[in-house]
Amino acid sequence: MAEHDDGLIVLTINGREVRAPKGTMLVDAAKAAGIEIPIFCYEPRLGAPIGACRMCLVEVEGMRGLQTACSTPVAPDMVVNTESEVAKDAQDGVLELLLANHPLDCPVCDKGGECPLQDRTFRFGPGRTRSLEPKLHFPKPLDLSPLVALDRERCIACFRCVRFSQEVAEDGQLTFQERGDHTEIATFSGDPYEGRFTGNTIDLCPVGALTSNPYRFVSRPWDIKNTPSVCAGCSMGCNLEITEREGEVKRLTGRPEPNMAVEEGWICDRGRWGYPALRSADRLQAPVLADAVGRRNVPLERAVTEASGLLGARGARVGILLGDAVTVETGFLAGELADRVGGGTPAMVARTGIPGHGLGPIRALPGAQMDDIDGADVVLVVGGDPCTQQPVAELRIRKARRAGAHVAVIGPRPTALDASCEALRTTPGHLLDAAAVINERLQGSQRAVVLWDEADLAAEPAAAEAIARVVAATPGARAVEMCADVSGAGLRALGIPAAGDLLGALEAGDIDILLTIGTDPTTGPAGDRWAAAADRAGTIIEMATHRTGLTDRAALVLPMLAPLEDEGVLVSMTGRAQRLRPGAREAAGAAAAWELIVGITHRIGNPVPDRTPAQAFRRLAEQHAAFAGLDYRAIGREGAVIAAVPQDPGSPAREPVGDGLLIVPCAPVFGDAVAHRSDALEAVREPSRAALAPAEAERLGVRTDARVRVTTPEGTAVLPLEIDSRLHEGAVYLMVGDPSSGAARLLPEDRGPVRAVVSAAAREEVGA
Amino acid sequence: MPQVNSVYRHREFGAPLTTLADYERAGGYLGLKDALALTPDDALYAFHRSGLRGRGGAGFPMGRKASFLPKDTGRPTYIVCNADESEPGTFKDREIIERNPFQLIEGLTIAAHAVECERAYIYIRGEYEAQAKVLDAALAEARGAGRLGPDALGEGRPFDITLYRGAGAYICGEETALLESLEGKRGQPRLKPPFPAVAGLYGCPTLINNVETLAALPPIMHRGPDWYGSMGPEKSPGTKIFSVSGHVLRPGNYEVVLGETTLRELIFTMAGGLRPGRHVKAVWPGGSSVPVIGEGSLDVPLDYESLNGVGTFLGSGGCIVMDDSECIVRACHRLAQFYRHESCGKCTPCREGTGWLARILGRMVAGEGRGAEDIRMLESLFGRISGRTLCALADGAVMPVQSALELFPEEFAHVAEHGSPAPAPMMGEPVG
Amino acid sequence: MTAHEIEEYLAPMRHEFADPRSLILPALKFAQGESGWLPAEDMAAVAEATGFSQAYVESVATFYDRLYIEPVGRRVINVCVTLSCMLRGSDEIFDHLTDYLGLDGEGTTEDGMFTLAKVQCIGACDRAPCLQIDSGEQIGPLEPADATCLVDDLREQPAPARYER
Ligand SMILES: Cc1cc2nc3c(=O)[nH]c(=O)nc-3n(C[C@H](O)[C@H](O)[C@H](O)COP(=O)(O)O)c2cc1C
Ligand code: SF4
Ligand code: SF4
Ligand code: SF4
Ligand code: FES
Ligand code: FES
Repeated sequence: MAEHDDGLIVLTINGREVRAPKGTMLVDAAKAAGIEIPIFCYEPRLGAPIGACRMCLVEVEGMRGLQTACSTPVAPDMVVNTESEVAKDAQDGVLELLLANHPLDCPVCDKGGECPLQDRTFRFGPGRTRSLEPKLHFPKPLDLSPLVALDRERCIACFRCVRFSQEVAEDGQLTFQERGDHTEIATFSGDPYEGRFTGNTIDLCPVGALTSNPYRFVSRPWDIKNTPSVCAGCSMGCNLEITEREGEVKRLTGRPEPNMAVEEGWICDRGRWGYPALRSADRLQAPVLADAVGRRNVPLERAVTEASGLLGARGARVGILLGDAVTVETGFLAGELADRVGGGTPAMVARTGIPGHGLGPIRALPGAQMDDIDGADVVLVVGGDPCTQQPVAELRIRKARRAGAHVAVIGPRPTALDASCEALRTTPGHLLDAAAVINERLQGSQRAVVLWDEADLAAEPAAAEAIARVVAATPGARAVEMCADVSGAGLRALGIPAAGDLLGALEAGDIDILLTIGTDPTTGPAGDRWAAAADRAGTIIEMATHRTGLTDRAALVLPMLAPLEDEGVLVSMTGRAQRLRPGAREAAGAAAAWELIVGITHRIGNPVPDRTPAQAFRRLAEQHAAFAGLDYRAIGREGAVIAAVPQDPGSPAREPVGDGLLIVPCAPVFGDAVAHRSDALEAVREPSRAALAPAEAERLGVRTDARVRVTTPEGTAVLPLEIDSRLHEGAVYLMVGDPSSGAARLLPEDRGPVRAVVSAAAREEVGA
Repeated sequence: MPQVNSVYRHREFGAPLTTLADYERAGGYLGLKDALALTPDDALYAFHRSGLRGRGGAGFPMGRKASFLPKDTGRPTYIVCNADESEPGTFKDREIIERNPFQLIEGLTIAAHAVECERAYIYIRGEYEAQAKVLDAALAEARGAGRLGPDALGEGRPFDITLYRGAGAYICGEETALLESLEGKRGQPRLKPPFPAVAGLYGCPTLINNVETLAALPPIMHRGPDWYGSMGPEKSPGTKIFSVSGHVLRPGNYEVVLGETTLRELIFTMAGGLRPGRHVKAVWPGGSSVPVIGEGSLDVPLDYESLNGVGTFLGSGGCIVMDDSECIVRACHRLAQFYRHESCGKCTPCREGTGWLARILGRMVAGEGRGAEDIRMLESLFGRISGRTLCALADGAVMPVQSALELFPEEFAHVAEHGSPAPAPMMGEPVG
Repeated sequence: MTAHEIEEYLAPMRHEFADPRSLILPALKFAQGESGWLPAEDMAAVAEATGFSQAYVESVATFYDRLYIEPVGRRVINVCVTLSCMLRGSDEIFDHLTDYLGLDGEGTTEDGMFTLAKVQCIGACDRAPCLQIDSGEQIGPLEPADATCLVDDLREQPAPARYER
């Protein structure tokens, strides 16, 4: 009985009966049965097998010669031998040939100790090659980019990096040159390999040919510890693995067992190389207390006691502002703290971020996970720019296009997808016009996925409503909200409101103590207002990873752990709750925000019952419908999707504030604070700038090499100008990069639509 | 020892047939006329019936391959003519293209009718630029005369041919590498299945045949498949062109009826034999990729089965003859260098193994051999390369050398210890 | 060579290929016709004209022997050294040419006139030992003296209007 009732195909591998679904390749069928067949080139995430390395040769009864197990699908009654003498000899033979020109310099190779080739050589092979011929030499190791190093002599020409570049990232940059045993990895004329995903080639490389420059010679595999966690770089929530040594994060990689429903093992370079920010010069290392005695470092215990004294004071009116990347446990515990401060006067708790009034209907659409995009027939990107704001989403969208989906990118910004997909550029502020096109594209679709941008549609609620209607009317269509904030979805699910009211209360003098947790409101939207408002509060308590605009004014500074050091749950933009696991603790005097809060409640004398994030999570799941039924176990390593929370109904269109050109805000992750703090990302980080269409620039009398003054009701910033013919006239595209540039501060607190007056910067400003 | 100029119609005619008028005068395009009188399926059946086998090297029955093409897929069907002719010792297609280009065009048109194809490609090696120009002119003339174009197959059925030039890569003669190259990629073979018949050029059903195979069709259609099938052995009938080169006095192309000529006749009667006093030492009868045979096998009839019987292949028909003035190891080294140079590098055993073979043989020739150790290493390498690669190039690299080692063990052993003797000076003993 | 010139060259044949990728090889050969090799700018122009990445175009170019990404002489003398030619003295032809051209093996003469190259079977083993100037007619059988005469003749000739390598 070859085909089982369960639709599985039954075959025999090494004398064992094995079942596998139709279409499974022998390697995978064997692996599922605990039989390992060596591979090098096989990597299903890169597309159909190519059968190049020949490492996986096995014997199949009745088939002539040896078969590559990576490209031979299971068949009923197949009898496979992966360990017969012939198969073994073939595998040893291929290994020996691979080593014929390989330098075998494992002791000095960054891959040494975690190298599949080395591993294979020890476990399967003769351990060496019998070749006594001189090895071929290639040009010496070089930097493929500031981030990726290439040693051509170690390359075994497995095609993985090339296929990633050509067929996954589709950046077209990494290729093979020459042929035969001269084949080598190269870029065009030796140009640097540039892109947002280049580091994935390092993870893919089965040898030490491609290595991470920032990781060069940093550690050896035997003294490191790897921990699976999640990237807090953007709302994609990519799974990754943290490599720790001597208490420091030394490296981030894609997870060896990818989360296929999220990132598929890919991470972007911002996510990968952001970790040096953990030890940037402005990292807060020790608590600071500022009181009548003066400003000084104090032990953490003391700082927590001081905080509880301030916060617990009877009648203190407290406002708690949560940053955009705090865990849901921290958000939940902040709420618990709010009930315990002021001697009974509950605190206001708010999150930085978009209020989202009017997004009710579109948020009510059935949600999709990232892997649903794989099977979609139509993929629409509405507003935003996933390529820069949620980078790894771009890879899924490309994959869907390759699989035959119609992909349209609809919105005011040019994107990296434009060249290969349908690009429908809308007039800034007129996404409403897109509803008709979206309707058209969805006609006849059965499995459409619509990715919509939170910030853009929050700015145009009428468009959000119209698009929601169109999508809701399409059978099988599902939506993904491209959240502007890393933890936005999670904090919203806890019912934590955006910070407009808190800011108002501060400005009205209704708050005595402002507690910030993981945020620097002074560099974000309405930064000037926040700075002034914070001053009005009189007392500022700050929990932060790095120095902020408030640090010097704060009465108390509590250094806090960054996401890579912390544990807890982040909710991704698809509503997937995923666990952070601490990779290291880099700041000696720091503690996790949740720990600090727990400590403060204890000192106040009204302790929360939780001692760990897991306990906090259990309680928050009991109290918040979105998390009902979840616990850490359920979340596991794949994450668990939280339930949708009912939203307020749509609200009428909003008018931009201010005069002049409408701002189209762009917030690339490569421009965020971490990117600017990480020295590894120096060459690829995005600076702030104002971008204009050529005609607009001409009208304003500004030139490319100029800097411009950009003024909104929130303030003024002087920014470098970029002229880009792909942009719309009548708008200024505000690229939010370096936090110190003031670009983000130009936006209103709720990130709503705003206009700006743009003019050439005065001479004295140019040097700025 | 019958020589029949069926594909080499120009030899029958006595002059190159490079104009359409001459070609038609020589009986050209009668085959197409007869083919068009048949339904496509009947034409396909005629291919079958003729017993014609592929002349590019593998010898796969042509009609059978054509019948593998799925019909009514809603996608175009393509024909690709393999004019890459890069197998060392092979230059038979060159003469067809240079002197009888219309017969190839007619053959392609006949095939197009049978498999219902509107566009064919001729992939010609880059080194045949002179020949490509002849073909360009012939294609233009055929187009001008309506033999190609909107009504080439009659009844408004269009057919045209695109000439595509390679740029120097032996591997592009391998059919899937050819397709990759034609698709604008690096010419590296594809994993099979799927076979080109099902998913070939641009993923569409594609018939790939050698120049000689396609040029055989016009006489088959005109004189009938039974006429063709009656020539030579039942299993592999028809005519085949042998390109004879090396140490013979009259190197050149000879079209013979399969099975009715022996290798000895080909070498001694047709190709003029060797220099006085010389013996045949080694012959690669089917291009450089086939096992070598020695003097003892000279009486083998030239057909697929008989050559298999003496441990070699008919291959492309590129018959390389070496006399006793040359060292077998030096010859093998030269071949090994060829395969090393031409390995596409996609798969490990070939990429690394061909270079390794070449290095060992090079050392042996240079007198830096390690005696029996090198011989053992060679033997082990043969086993570690052949049968384990993605395409047949590597097998082709191993077979000529492996067979030579088996045929000349003492000479190999000697060279492994003492190196090759200096090559005989060419001037001292001119060949041909 | 500009992308525009290449596009014009490709325009009439575009319809013959279902995928524009197929245009890369003809475009490279055409571009090479101008300077006899493919400087990075020319490969970039091919990339632009065909719509594929520069790295991809270069990767294709380097796969093929007869596309040159390094400068070569005005004429490339391709001496076949594969078995049939070797058996008939190709090494002597080659050595004779190196001496005559003042080269040390394969390479380009100092005056940039000639590149001497060993190549694999050029499909003219009936003319062995043979050579090919660029991708011209296969010439043979040669005696060493013929080969040097050929070089002398070539020296007299002006540079070709278009290089066909
Ligand atoms: C390495 C290699 C090189 C080849 N070169 C050629 C060639 O130059 N010309 C050719 O017609 N077939 C060549 N072939 C055979 C082709 O793959 C294919 O079998 C042939 O074109 C089919 O045509 P046919 O059936 O008419 O022979 C080669 C095969 C291999 C493995
Ligand atoms: S560099 Fe690494 S990934 Fe790329 S082909 Fe070489 S071995 Fe494979
Ligand atoms: S896409 Fe976002 S979550 Fe994923 S690695 Fe990049 S920054 Fe991190
Ligand atoms: S056998 Fe050689 S030519 Fe064929 S695919 Fe492998 S490396 Fe390329
Ligand atoms: S893993 Fe199967 S051929 Fe490479
Ligand atoms: S071996 Fe020189 S042309 Fe064939």
